[in-house]
Amino acid sequence: MKLDTIGVTPFTISRRGILAGGSALALASAIGAPRIARAAEPLRIGLVTSLSGTFTSLGESMRAGLQLLLAEAGNEMGGRAVELIVEDDQGKPDEGVRKVRKLLSQDKVDIICGVISAAVALAIRDVVTEAQVPTFISNASANALAREAASPLVFRPTKTSWMLGSTGARWVHDRIAKSGGMTLGADYAAGREYIGDFVSTFQELGGSVDEQLWTPLGTTDFAPLLTNVAAAGPEFVYAFFPGADGVRFLQQMRDFQLTDRVKLIGPGALFDQEDVIPAAGDAALGGVNTFQQSPDAPNARAFVEAYGRARGGRLPGEASTAGYVTGQVIKAAVDAVAGDVADKERFKRAILDQPVETAMGRMAFDPRNNQAILDIFVNEVKKDAEGRPFNTVVHIYEGVRDPGPQA
Amino acid sequence: MAYYLIQALNAVSLSVLLMLLALGLSLMLSLMNFINLAHGSFYLLGSYVAIFWLAAGLPWYLALPAAFLAAALAGLILDRYPLGLFYQRTHLMQVLLTYGLSVMFADLMRWGFGAEIMSLPMPDALRGVVFILGLPFPLYRLYVIGVGIVLAFGLWYLVERTLWGAAMRACVSDRRMVETLGIDTRRIFTVAMVVAGGLGGLAGALGGGLLSAYPGLDEEVLLLALLVVVVGGLGNMTGTVLSAILTGFITTFARIFLPEFANVISLGAVAAILLIRPDGLFAHKARRV
Repeated sequence: MKLDTIGVTPFTISRRGILAGGSALALASAIGAPRIARAAEPLRIGLVTSLSGTFTSLGESMRAGLQLLLAEAGNEMGGRAVELIVEDDQGKPDEGVRKVRKLLSQDKVDIICGVISAAVALAIRDVVTEAQVPTFISNASANALAREAASPLVFRPTKTSWMLGSTGARWVHDRIAKSGGMTLGADYAAGREYIGDFVSTFQELGGSVDEQLWTPLGTTDFAPLLTNVAAAGPEFVYAFFPGADGVRFLQQMRDFQLTDRVKLIGPGALFDQEDVIPAAGDAALGGVNTFQQSPDAPNARAFVEAYGRARGGRLPGEASTAGYVTGQVIKAAVDAVAGDVADKERFKRAILDQPVETAMGRMAFDPRNNQAILDIFVNEVKKDAEGRPFNTVVHIYEGVRDPGPQA
Repeated sequence: MAYYLIQALNAVSLSVLLMLLALGLSLMLSLMNFINLAHGSFYLLGSYVAIFWLAAGLPWYLALPAAFLAAALAGLILDRYPLGLFYQRTHLMQVLLTYGLSVMFADLMRWGFGAEIMSLPMPDALRGVVFILGLPFPLYRLYVIGVGIVLAFGLWYLVERTLWGAAMRACVSDRRMVETLGIDTRRIFTVAMVVAGGLGGLAGALGGGLLSAYPGLDEEVLLLALLVVVVGGLGNMTGTVLSAILTGFITTFARIFLPEFANVISLGAVAAILLIRPDGLFAHKARRV
C-alpha cells in the first residue's frame, strides 16, 4: 500500500496545524500571565432586573438607584473600577435563570445583584449557589429565602414578607383594634405571605380576623368586593395588591367613598411612593403601611434629594432605594476586602461582621441565613408641605429580625 | 335588596366596559371579516390620550371625542398601509400581521409614555357617589353605563338603519357585486376601519377611569375582548353585546360568592358555553382559514 492512500500526507501548514498551534500559544500565555494584572481588572457586577413585563417601572427604578450609587462612588469600589452589566429577566423565572447563566459564563461577573420577583429569586438561587457567586437579592421578599432556601453566598439586603406582615399586626393590635377587621389580598405567593403572616401574628397577640377575602391577580373590577366591605363596615382592612392592581384598588376605594370610612393598612408596596402614589394620588391618603423604606426616614434624606435631582423631582420608592442600598452594601464589603472578591469566605465575613449605614437605616446581617436585620418604619400617607401624598414615618420598630430557619 | 341592586349595577358597568372593548373588534370581524389583534393598542392609545388631555386641563367632555379622533387617525393610517392589503387574505395572515403590529405599538407607547402606571385625573363633575337605597355607587360608573348604552345604540343604528351600513354589510356578502353598483368598496372598508379604531380608543378613554393605563394593559384588554367576541359568535354584533352582558354578570357574581375562584368560574362558564355551542351564542357563517 502506498503511503498517500492511507492518508499520510507530506508536512504542510494545514488549517488543523494553525488551530492547534494558535490555541497552544494562547493557553501558554494565559497560564504564564502574571496574577498581578487581575487586581487592575474591573469589578464586574451583574444586575438582574425587570426591564419589560409587569415589573418594568420597578426594574427601571432599581437600575437608576444602583447607577446613582455608582456615580456617587466615582464608579469604583475597593480600588477597582466597576463594570455594571444590566440584564432583563422580564419578570419570568426561566428568563432570569437564562440571564444569570449568561452573566456567569459569558460576562464572568464577580457579583450578582438585583431581582424583583420572588419567583425569579427562587429560580436563580440554585444556579448561583452552585456557581459560588456572591448574590445580593435586592427586592424579592419571599420568606423561603431566609428559611429553607437560604444559601451561604446569597445575601438579602432587604426585608422578608414576615417582617412587614408581623409588624403590621403589632401596629394594628396596639393602635387600632384588638380583634375583628378584614383582610383582602391578591391570591398569589406574595399576597398569601403578607396576609398569612399578618393573621398569624395577630392571632399570637390574641386577636382574630373576622373575614379573609382573596381575589385573583390582575383583577380589574373591585366593585363587588368593595360593596361587600361597605356592607360589613369592619374596624380595619389589611390589604395587599401589587402594582396596577393596587392603584385600581385604592382608586375604587375612593370611588366608593370608603377611604375615609375604613382604616386601610398594608405592606408598604401597596403605598409605594414611586410606583403607586403618583398614580393613585389622593386616594392613598390616610393609608398606613409597614415598610423597610420610607422617603421620610432619617438615613434616607441625602439619597432622596440626590434621587430627586437625578430623576426630575421624583420621590424614591422601594425599588430605587433597594438598588441604592444594594450598591452601598456591596461597596462596603468590597472596600473592606480591598477589592479582592476571589476569597469568598473573607468577603462573606466582611459583610457579616460590620453593619452598614444605608438609606434604609443601619443594616446588619443575620449569620444564620444572610438575611438583613432591619428597622421597619410605620408610614402614614399624609400631605406634605407641597400638598403631595407622602409616606410620613409615625413609628419605627427597631431591629426586626426574621425568625429564620427554625420557623 | 339594596345590596343586590348595587351588585347588579356593578355587573352592568363591567358588562358595558366589556361590550365597548369588544364592539370595535366585533365590528371589524363581523362586517369586514378582519381579525385585528392590534385592537388592544387602540384601547391603550385612547387611554393615554384621555389621560394627557385631562392632565392638561382641557375640557373633560371633549376628552372622549379627542380619544376617538386619535385612535381613528391611527386606524386610518393603518388602513392605508398595510392593513388595506390584507382584507382579502386569510385570517391567519391577518393574525400574524396585526399581532406583530401590536407588539410594535406596545413598545412605541412604552417609549413614548413611560412604563409607570398612569391614572385618569378624574374631572370633578364625575367624582363622587350616588346613594342608591343607602349604599354608595360611583358616579363615574353610571357615566360609563350611560355612554356605553348610547354608543351601542348609535352603532346599531349606523350599521342596521343607514345606507352606509347597508353598503358595508353588502360588501362583506359580495364585494364585487357592490362594486358593479358603482360604490367604492375600498372607501367603505376604510371608513369601517376608522370607526372601529375610534371605538377602541373611546373604550380606552372610558375604561381609563376604571383600569388606569400601563404597558401590558393592551394585551389583557385584547384577551378580554376576544373572549367576549368568540363567546358571542364571530360575525355577529348582537351576539357580542349579549355575551358581554353574560360575562359581566357571571364574573361579578362569581366575585361576590367565591372571590378566589372568580376567574375559574367565569372562564369555566365561557368554556362550557363554547362546548355546548362551538360557534358561540349566535353563530354566523364566516370565511375561515
